[in-house]
Amino acid sequence: MKTLVIIFLKDLLRNKMLGLMVLLVPLIFYPLIYWGITQFMLLRTAFSENTVITVKYHSETSEFGDLKDSLSAINNLIIEPGFFKQADTDNIYLTVRSQQGLPYFEVYVDSSNSSLLSMSAQIEKSLSKYYRSSVDRIVKENDYTPEYFQVYNIEMNDTEGDESVVVILKILSLLVPLFSIMSILGSCVAASVELASGHSEDKTSETTLTLPVERKVIMISKFISVSIYGILAGSLNFIFLTVFMMQIFRSFMGIIDQGIEGIGWSKIISFNTLFFSFVSLCLTAFFISLIFVTAAGFASKRKEGSVLVSPFMAAVTYIPLVIVIPALEPGILISAVPVLNVAFAMKLIISGDINTLFIIQTAIFSFLWTFTAYRYILPFLLDEEVLMGYSDTSLAKKIKGKLFKWKLK
Amino acid sequence: METKVKIENLSKHFSDPQRGLVKAVDNVSLEAFSGEIFGLLGPNGAGKTTTLRMMATLMRPDSGSISIAGYDTVSEPQKVRRSIGYLSSTTALYPRLSPREIISYFAQLNDYPSTELVTRVEKLISHFGIQDYADTYSEKLSTGMKQLTSIARTVVHDPPVLILDEPSTGLDVIVAQKIHHHIFELKNEGKTIIFSSHNMGEVEKLCDRIGIINKGKLLAAGTPDELREISKKHYMEDVFVFFVREYEKEIGYEKKEAACI
Ligand SMILES: Nc1ncnc2c1ncn2[C@@H]1O[C@H](COP(=O)(O)OP(=O)(O)OP(=O)(O)O)[C@@H](O)[C@H]1O
Ligand SMILES: [Mg+2]
Repeated sequence: MKTLVIIFLKDLLRNKMLGLMVLLVPLIFYPLIYWGITQFMLLRTAFSENTVITVKYHSETSEFGDLKDSLSAINNLIIEPGFFKQADTDNIYLTVRSQQGLPYFEVYVDSSNSSLLSMSAQIEKSLSKYYRSSVDRIVKENDYTPEYFQVYNIEMNDTEGDESVVVILKILSLLVPLFSIMSILGSCVAASVELASGHSEDKTSETTLTLPVERKVIMISKFISVSIYGILAGSLNFIFLTVFMMQIFRSFMGIIDQGIEGIGWSKIISFNTLFFSFVSLCLTAFFISLIFVTAAGFASKRKEGSVLVSPFMAAVTYIPLVIVIPALEPGILISAVPVLNVAFAMKLIISGDINTLFIIQTAIFSFLWTFTAYRYILPFLLDEEVLMGYSDTSLAKKIKGKLFKWKLK
Repeated sequence: METKVKIENLSKHFSDPQRGLVKAVDNVSLEAFSGEIFGLLGPNGAGKTTTLRMMATLMRPDSGSISIAGYDTVSEPQKVRRSIGYLSSTTALYPRLSPREIISYFAQLNDYPSTELVTRVEKLISHFGIQDYADTYSEKLSTGMKQLTSIARTVVHDPPVLILDEPSTGLDVIVAQKIHHHIFELKNEGKTIIFSSHNMGEVEKLCDRIGIINKGKLLAAGTPDELREISKKHYMEDVFVFFVREYEKEIGYEKKEAACI
């Protein structure tokens, strides 16, 4: 088995065309993702600039009456009385106190609402300007040394806590598994067609099948080789994508004036996340390779192999693309759908929402599916006609042949 | 002489949507002994490859039996596979592996003792004259180089029976001569060699015994001299044509008989 896997993998890895195709996927997708996110972010900022936002204003002192005037210089801002009681996703709250004759501000803002966030940045600017002018006034009036004063007296409160991290995680947890799985799909398809249909076409399958090695072992070696190839491609993509996305978020969070210094890598890339992601990548790759090697096994030419594989490809990509995106609630139904369940579990784990029940269900179903494939699809594959691509080549012709035999009887 | 290959009443049919039932191999019986070269001679589509594939355990016979080195191909395929080296009609090398890699991996896959593996591989490489391109990917080799590599791969585990499907088709005279030379050598080592060809000259030169096959039927089998005697022709080409004509006459009679009834 080991020798066979080495042969198959060497032949695959040295295939430059195949490698190019696998590398091309990220090269095409990453700029697309970048462009998509840029557009999305710009749209949101543009949108937020035109939204009217209410600031609930509360003052604990009779001083600083001119503060309201300086705030109302900001566009699209309405000031109403009111003070902060509980988290509010629609309004910004501002409370002013007097501290030794200087204003002290408390701002409450929900940072997950980007319109509020950009408005709060403007408010912050205006407040710090007001604070500085107050300091200047006191310094002048009392002849104080300016160095004694705090440069800043604003307390920013994010009412949603770590919400910006959560947003990033949400997007990451959606895109990273999706694209990792897509890249596994792409590479597994290419590799399966090469190993199954290609080997029939080149007749190398004849030489392996006359070896004193069990046919099951030959098939399993093919599955394993294709999986390893898929895992390599998937992991590469996973790593690149994570780094790439982090870079994007760094720069964009900067634009919205909300530093994400607080978000360490450790929050996103922990050992658990990596471990579970890797395990799910492996599972996905193995399952996909089962499907594709089987499909391609029915063809004795590469061209026919690609044709046979395409409907499965469409089916399998369709699932993560269409169903994962509108964030579904994890449930037993999802955990029963192969590939999708693993994508979903990965999504949950990356976003730190570890739903043990769902993961166990996914594991059980994945095991069941793999077992079914091993038990019921493999023997079918081991049929000499299928293995060798004998008698007729494509599946359609094969069915015709069966019908013909039946007619003869 | 020891019987190494024994084929009895072997048949294989294919159902083809266009042509109907194709009798690719029809009730063929033959024997081959150790230290013998047996040639299957027949035109395109005669059923040579199908016969060899069944011998190599790649296909299951519809009826009849094949025993190789005393083992039945259907009930003991693994033991048969241990005793044969099979060369398919295309060179069938992994395109991105070098001859050295291919030969040594196949030695491993055939459970060749690992202590002697390297010596064996190097010996074969120099014996078949592959040294100059032993580390080039096989997709970059010429047909002749590929065929020599394939033969080295086929014999790497020193099997007693060799099944070669058209070993010299598509090669120039020089490489073909080299390959003939190697086939003779293998025979002298005591191996049983069964090969197919549609080249009369080659068959006449190499074979101890010849089986003439057409449309799935074995028309005659024997030493070249025996066949010449029966047909009363000198050249192998004429011998071949004689048996094919005879066969067609026979079929004609059958048809006539059928018409009478
Ligand atoms: N897998 C298959 N399905 C249907 N028919 C087949 C199959 N393999 C062989 N045949 C048919 O069986 C007959 C014998 O074919 P075979 O390949 O054994 O001929 P051959 O003697 O090797 O010819 P060649 O010299 O061209 O290699 C042919 O009519 C061929 O079309
Ligand atoms: Mg042939």
